[in-house]
Amino acid sequence: MDVLDLARTQFAVTGSLHFLFVVLTLGLAPLVAIMQTRHALSGKPVFERMTRFWGQTYVINYALGVFTGLVMEFQFGLSWSGLSHYAGDVFGAPLAIETLVAFFLESTFLALWIFGWHRLPRWLHLACIWLVTLTAYASAFWIMVANAFLQNPAGSQVRGDRLALTDPGALLSNPSFVYAFPHVIGAGLLAGGLVVAGASAFQLSRRHPEAEFFTRSMRLGTVVASIGVFLAVGFGFAQFGPIGGLQPGKFDSDPLSGLSLGLMIMLGELLMLLFMFLLLPLIWWLPKWRWTHPVVILATPVPFVAAILGWLAREVGRQPWMINGRLTVADAMSPGLTPGMVGASFAAFAGLLGLLAVVDYVLIARTVLRGPAATFLGAPEESHASDCPSPALTY
Amino acid sequence: MEIVWFGALALLLAGYFALEGFDIGVGMLLPVLGRDQAARDRLVGAIAPFVLANEVWLVAGVGVLFGAFPTLEGDVLFALYPLVVALLVSWIVRDAGLWFRRRVDGPRWRAFWDGALCAGSWGLALTWGFALARVATGLDGLPALLLGVVLAAVVAAVFAFHGRTFAAWRLAGEGRPRGGRALLGSALLAASPALAGLALTASTVVGHAAPAGTLNMLGLMVVPFAPLMVGAQIWVWRTFGPRRPAGSRVPSFF
Repeated sequence: MDVLDLARTQFAVTGSLHFLFVVLTLGLAPLVAIMQTRHALSGKPVFERMTRFWGQTYVINYALGVFTGLVMEFQFGLSWSGLSHYAGDVFGAPLAIETLVAFFLESTFLALWIFGWHRLPRWLHLACIWLVTLTAYASAFWIMVANAFLQNPAGSQVRGDRLALTDPGALLSNPSFVYAFPHVIGAGLLAGGLVVAGASAFQLSRRHPEAEFFTRSMRLGTVVASIGVFLAVGFGFAQFGPIGGLQPGKFDSDPLSGLSLGLMIMLGELLMLLFMFLLLPLIWWLPKWRWTHPVVILATPVPFVAAILGWLAREVGRQPWMINGRLTVADAMSPGLTPGMVGASFAAFAGLLGLLAVVDYVLIARTVLRGPAATFLGAPEESHASDCPSPALTY
Repeated sequence: MEIVWFGALALLLAGYFALEGFDIGVGMLLPVLGRDQAARDRLVGAIAPFVLANEVWLVAGVGVLFGAFPTLEGDVLFALYPLVVALLVSWIVRDAGLWFRRRVDGPRWRAFWDGALCAGSWGLALTWGFALARVATGLDGLPALLLGVVLAAVVAAVFAFHGRTFAAWRLAGEGRPRGGRALLGSALLAASPALAGLALTASTVVGHAAPAGTLNMLGLMVVPFAPLMVGAQIWVWRTFGPRRPAGSRVPSFF
């Protein structure tokens, strides 16, 4: 492998790892927000316990989204300084807005939500999870604006030897963006909904005593996942029009791109059929009819595979361009980058993040396996005698 | 406009040192201040609600560097390549310690991740010293290395002092009780290395600003949210400050 291949592989590996966790974040955040809203409205304890249990799953998953995201942000400067030199005046803006506004607020409100149990008034605490959801979606919005610019450099003009931002409106109404954004959101809802439904099906199939808890979770997860699958498939096909015009031959130039696209479409349609003809019509009986449980459990990893395939199709199909028709990947690479530098950092990032990703998935599985009673997030007060000297007698 | 965006960059970087400085400092001093597991849990619990709201100042700072000073972003990060990699690895190791330490019960699990938290915190402080030496002087080779050793020691010392002051401010019985004024003083001290670096490089940074069109679009998108961002940060401090009751009775997620 030469230095360019190494740098590309490093970006592909960290990017894929990042999206595996981000896609679940995008799906779980609104699910947890819906659960907490239902608790706030109905006062039923089961919804509070659902919020804490699925919220803990969401938060554990979130950790790896942050770790991988940090590496992504800095990698632009480390490996691809040619991109910021040529197009930073355009491409930098959406990334700056994402980090400065969306992620800044998301992280702050998430801190308030995680540590605000029993401290914030109930309605303000509920507002925090909705703000976390909203800012997570704003993050996805700006990242997709930036990515769409690489597919189709709308809103910009060549001035001298660099690109200049000439039309911010065109940047936001980029045809490579407007259909891809809901497609990604759909993928997130599908992944999040199916994780909740699949984990619930697993617990119900082993006759977990908390039947009501997992019955409600399974139905809610199925509803959200089916909204997701329609969005993802619908806005997936809607992209063929603009791509045909802007990037003809996108999926033919490299066999990997075409293959990934074909497989993703197959998996997406398979899931859509499953939801249209089985899971959605039977949603009321799903939790009780145990023969459906293995189907839902088996389907759970599929959206994650499809999500990675989707990114492969989109990004491999852009080659050899970094910015379609304007800047090649080779020209975008930092001048002076050596195989030793990329090799060492690749080994460090991939080794560390890979290891932590495995730990994270084991912790998520463990949270699900141990069930709602063992949830730590939002637990009531600790009863350490040393912490709170209690009166000897209380009447 | 360039000056305004330089001000934003300076605020975010200095704010990162002033705020994240005490998280890093507490992490560095974890084995010293926390002799047993319960004491370490209390120390981590003290910084826990602030970390997410603090570390994001650097993420935002790099975002401003990318958006408002794009040609500088690539040059600076690439010039600091090994240091940026070390910074990221330390940051991730420190954060992994925080997120994972309480996920499994058992003394060995928690001791392992407390070790990661401490090692990552030291890595962050020391790497910042070397990075500042490199950025502020533009030096390379042995002079930068020697200055880096000095600055790494300085940054580690001011972060550790800031961390100890924060622990005394937030936790009862953690050394001599400290008021808000002492914490503000140690925050300024922690921010001073970043402010010095920014002062030395100000003219270079401003000279690399993006054109007016880009800066205007950024301003249009960011300024409306600035009050919300400030408000959210203040809300964190009002909610998790030391005067709130029941501080230590709710178990910390970290």
